[in-house]
Amino acid sequence: MPNFIQFNQVSRWFESASGRFDALKNINLHIAQGNHVAIAGKSGSGKSTLLNMLTGIDHPSQGTVRINSTDVHALNESALAGWRGKNVGIVFQFFQLIPTLTVKENILLAMDFVNVIPGRERAKRVGALLAQVGISQQTDKLPVALSGGEQQRAAIARALANDPPILVADEPTGNLDSKTTEIILNLFTELVGTGKTVIVVTHEKVAYVEYDRIITLKDGMIVDDTGRSRTQ
Amino acid sequence: MHIKSPLLGGVARSAGVGYINTTMNIKFRKVTGDLRVNPGRIILVIFALVIGLWGVGSILVSYAILNRDLNENYTRTNPLHAAITSKDFKRLDLTALRNRPEIEKAEFRDFATLRIETHPGEWIPLWLFGVGDFNTFSLARIYNQNGSGGPITPEAGAMLVERDGLRFSNLKAGPPARVRAGGRVVNVPVAGIGFDPAQAPGTQDHLIYAYVDNKTYSKITGEAANQRLIIRFKNAKTKQEVQAAADGLIDYFKTLGIAADTVKIPKFMEHPHQWQLNTLLFMEGSIGFLAFFLGAVLVSQLIAAILAGQIRQIGILKAIGASRFQVFQIYLMMALALGVMSGMIAIPLAVKSGYAYACFVANILNFEVLTTSLPHYMYIYLMASGLLLPVLLSLPAILKGTRIPVREALNDYGINQDAGVKKSKLLDKMRLPVNLALAFENTMRRKKRLAVTVAAMSLGVAIFNTGFNVQQSLKDLLSDVNNSMKHDVQVVLINQISKEEALKYFSGIGNIRRIETWNGGRGAMQNMVVSTDDGVGIIALPYNSDLLTFRSIKGRWLSGPAEPEIVMNQEAAVLYGNPPVGGYHTLSVRGKQLKAKLAGIVEEFEKPKIYMAQEQYDALANPDHYVNSLMFVARDKGYGKVMALKRDIEKAIEPSSLQVLYVMMQAERVKIIYDHLRIILVTIVFLAMLVLVVSAIGMASATSINIMERTREIGVLRAIGATPEIIYNLFVAEGMIVSIASIFIGLFFSWPLSIVASRFFGNLMLEVELHYSFSKTGFVITLIATLIFGWIASRIPAQRAVSVSTREALSYE
Repeated sequence: MPNFIQFNQVSRWFESASGRFDALKNINLHIAQGNHVAIAGKSGSGKSTLLNMLTGIDHPSQGTVRINSTDVHALNESALAGWRGKNVGIVFQFFQLIPTLTVKENILLAMDFVNVIPGRERAKRVGALLAQVGISQQTDKLPVALSGGEQQRAAIARALANDPPILVADEPTGNLDSKTTEIILNLFTELVGTGKTVIVVTHEKVAYVEYDRIITLKDGMIVDDTGRSRTQ
Repeated sequence: MHIKSPLLGGVARSAGVGYINTTMNIKFRKVTGDLRVNPGRIILVIFALVIGLWGVGSILVSYAILNRDLNENYTRTNPLHAAITSKDFKRLDLTALRNRPEIEKAEFRDFATLRIETHPGEWIPLWLFGVGDFNTFSLARIYNQNGSGGPITPEAGAMLVERDGLRFSNLKAGPPARVRAGGRVVNVPVAGIGFDPAQAPGTQDHLIYAYVDNKTYSKITGEAANQRLIIRFKNAKTKQEVQAAADGLIDYFKTLGIAADTVKIPKFMEHPHQWQLNTLLFMEGSIGFLAFFLGAVLVSQLIAAILAGQIRQIGILKAIGASRFQVFQIYLMMALALGVMSGMIAIPLAVKSGYAYACFVANILNFEVLTTSLPHYMYIYLMASGLLLPVLLSLPAILKGTRIPVREALNDYGINQDAGVKKSKLLDKMRLPVNLALAFENTMRRKKRLAVTVAAMSLGVAIFNTGFNVQQSLKDLLSDVNNSMKHDVQVVLINQISKEEALKYFSGIGNIRRIETWNGGRGAMQNMVVSTDDGVGIIALPYNSDLLTFRSIKGRWLSGPAEPEIVMNQEAAVLYGNPPVGGYHTLSVRGKQLKAKLAGIVEEFEKPKIYMAQEQYDALANPDHYVNSLMFVARDKGYGKVMALKRDIEKAIEPSSLQVLYVMMQAERVKIIYDHLRIILVTIVFLAMLVLVVSAIGMASATSINIMERTREIGVLRAIGATPEIIYNLFVAEGMIVSIASIFIGLFFSWPLSIVASRFFGNLMLEVELHYSFSKTGFVITLIATLIFGWIASRIPAQRAVSVSTREALSYE
């Protein structure tokens, strides 16, 4: 399977009053399309920085990031926004729904920004997405009226709004109980089944998830890359 | 290979469902939702915008009305270009004159300065006009009391009184008024009330205007009618052109054997009190601009605060695919929504208050507001400023907020933890209580915001205090006017008579220390009696009179009776092109000339005047040693006693044959000047107060932003044991530190600002450079007002800060 995501010699460092801090060091990483990948590591290992490179939220200090034939590292902020909207759906640990919009409106807003879904098809698609994540009854509620698990499912529906080929989740179950965690992670597995590339940042291993790869980071470097293995 | 989601395929087959939620709808829903999140702050923003728009809108509306209507009131009277008096006009064929090519209109309008009793025993000047025909007159028109049509025609023997005179007199339509003409008192029925917008307001000049027909005029004054001709020239565009046309007319009259006695050319097509209006409009404009500027700072701060609270959301929006422009659109829409909301409140208020202010000024200046509906462009201006104001002001904050990279936006947790980490060594040395030291440290954390807040508040304090200082300068000027003349009552006669004849009627009056006799007097009217040939008033007095103590601008006072010397007031000096002190000036009086040394220039709030020794004037033009001014000095200078003296003088005059121009107490004269300035003094302080209020709102908003940014910190403080009272006091202390800093800086800058403003307003209003005066009352009021405003401005957000629970504060992002 061709390399869908390619990191070549990617480093990211930050300058601060206390000196230079290397968050990522010479990362070489290739991920195939349709893979279900876990990025693991302790706090401060560079997981989130790696994720930021994947989503175009941050630029590498050195090296190149090529995703689906696009040199993401070379795009400016404006081009990145458009690229991200079409190619990457992001799920955050704290859900990050717009609190003043209903669930439906949160999803519609993402569609509006990217404008790849024709206007007259959007409402129908919202209904289908919410049905897929299992919260059809919550369509017109504000995020505050939903449980944590429901909010995260709404956030996943929003991430899928523009049908991106890549779904990236940053510790998506970090704030959820075990039962809800299972529902969310199973949802990701189902999405992999539809052809999405799903990359999940996690610091916990769960028995019931089958990842194609588990990449472990430590001090900004890949220290383990287990391919096609079932986690125990 | 990318596999197309079945979801997308499934959706693509249906059409037309839910398209109601258009792009703008969703974005607008977000905007309205965001605006509802923190109603307190949004109310503050709208309040600030309403204040700014209301102020600016009121200024625009009143400016448009006043600027147009005073001029319109004046010009629709068809004002005269020139007035010529002659006793030979009986030789004039008025029809032939009107047919001359340079004449647009010409009529007889006789004029006499008499006196009228406004209250029992109180007499003030009466300007009596003789009108040829009340039905056909077309020059210097007057109107009925409401200004809506022509005046009623008074029956023979009766007069119309100008409406402004009713405010300070007992005169009313019906009962007769007592008019003193020369040595006679005549009872003249008041037939009705008229309105003459071309005259200076009678309330300010303390005189009454009245209008009678020709026969009645002759009957009252004892003078023949048709001795004063008023004229408008065709195609005259400047005073110089009027002067040239008048000179030509005088030559024409000479060919007819008509000798002109006087030629008076008023300011060209300008209301006598246009200067007051100009001053008011300028003040409105300049202080309104400052209030607008402060409002601008405030609004931009508030919009920045809203954006500061939304940085993480901006990060999320960008993370889910929003471009910078799309985020920009959302916040631009928010600014527009704020503009629309505040405009809906402010514009109707601005129209109403603009009209109200215009009516207030029109009432004081005695003219009618003619504008019944504002021009359409005014509404366009108002709406444009309503919409553009928040958009333009929030643009920098929006651009900055939307420019922030996604990673930074997603990591935003309010105030930077390293902000203000540098501890002040000075504070360390001061060993302040921990709470106060923390308040100081916190105040210094956002240095840029602190600088803007203190600068805005200091500007407010500086302007507020300057308002009081300028007011004090004007009061000091009035005090100087009062002190410069030591007499208590002045009697000015229309004609010059012998000293003995003038004094003989007053010998029996008590409370008189002495009476000094002069030639000449005060004000413009006196210039008609004793003046140079070019119309500058002369005051010929004992050179060593102790009744005058002017502030000297240059040179010295008169040194003696022997040398031909003169002293000018600054108005005369300006008129003659600031001649050098010590140089020689040629006076021309009744055709005779005197070359006199200019000994000095004195400061005097008066018409142009020249002072010279009585002996010199008598030698030049007064061989009979006549006088026309009696300066009474009272033994007891108490106000009541001087009033009684004035009444006694009036009683003495009543049976006499003296032809009196006016009898005036020095205190009344000061009051006349004060009445001219009152509206300006009130407006200065009112507008300065507006600036201070806007500044205080700015401070409240800055404190509110500080508190919002530090919500999580408040949670930490409470978690480690700080009571709500401690936190409340902390924020109030921070507000008071800003207030005190602003007071110091503002008061410091009010000093040079007051010097400049006093000079500027003095020149604008009085053509006198006012001296800087420090207003103690203003200082105390500024101090108290700023501290109270500062306390309120920090108290409200501080109360909100302590109302948040510890849990909510700690979980704040």
